[in-house]
Amino acid sequence: MPAKQRWNAKSGLFHSDGCNCMTIMSHWQAMALAAALSALPLASAAAQDGRRVTVTGEISDTWCTVSGLMFAKGTAHHQCAVWCALGGIPVSIRDAKGELYLILKIGDDEDSAANPRIARMATHEVAVDGELLERDGVKYLLVDRIADDKGVITMTHEEYGIQPFGN
Amino acid sequence: MKALSTIRLALMIFTVSSTGSSLAAEAWNIPHEKAVVLKGRVVDALCQLKGRCAPDCGAGKRQLGLLLTDGTFRLVAKSNIDFAGSIPDLIGFCGKEIEADGLLIENPAITLFFVQGIRTDAAGSFVPAERFKAEWETQHGKAEEWWRADPEANRIIAADGPLGIKGMAPKPKP
Repeated sequence: MPAKQRWNAKSGLFHSDGCNCMTIMSHWQAMALAAALSALPLASAAAQDGRRVTVTGEISDTWCTVSGLMFAKGTAHHQCAVWCALGGIPVSIRDAKGELYLILKIGDDEDSAANPRIARMATHEVAVDGELLERDGVKYLLVDRIADDKGVITMTHEEYGIQPFGN
Repeated sequence: MKALSTIRLALMIFTVSSTGSSLAAEAWNIPHEKAVVLKGRVVDALCQLKGRCAPDCGAGKRQLGLLLTDGTFRLVAKSNIDFAGSIPDLIGFCGKEIEADGLLIENPAITLFFVQGIRTDAAGSFVPAERFKAEWETQHGKAEEWWRADPEANRIIAADGPLGIKGMAPKPKP
């Protein structure tokens, strides 16, 4: 019985399951495996090990924060941040110093674009544990777990209204 | 004479590269923005940074960027469509070389690229980075403002309110 080849998104490798006996792949299996492998982008030679960190801050819409086109904090910006997250704009955690940590995964969930789970946390104040990777002016965060989620606690709508259109 | 030819050649190269740069994007007056054309390979950020790769660059569910020839990785964060990223514009080029016309924003907190046009042929025209809207409308139908018509956004806002706190509503406009 030939072993089945299964893609593991976590390890980035194909793994065998089924029996652990030695098998000889048929011509077709080998071709199928080669085709599947060729469809994958090569893992980067620049892949790195980051450092363990705990980051505390607000789940922020990266574009609005950087562009300064609207007030991108707290209640005033919640709705806009939901739209941007669902539109696929990268989501970051902004800490008290204004540093931005761009989220590339949360736990086993590696969907970092238009992920409703992340959109639901827009403008929440959170503390997360994870791995920090820095490259070319960006701090990327691979979140292992959300240690705390206080919800939206920064009240900005009285002063700024609902961004960006006031409704 | 040889020196003059060298200077002339250098000027020609400068002119050609300047012409290329002049195609660069519309200014948005964002702090730290710089209009540039980036040339590079479309890659999935998690694969590029951590070696955790998925077929087809994550099939539209992962953040994407450009790996430039000098090894610099630029995350592409925004397209021409309001409230929308660039993944629909880039995903079809996973693993391929493109030229991207846009704004590089080198904010001290983060460096991002806002793509406004894409081309694969250096002699060709830039195609506006606007695929998000077309794809959204294919899925959900025509809408003047996709963000207000998006079913998932409306579910979240209906559940938690526009301010993100259940039961808290903005004051009605006078």
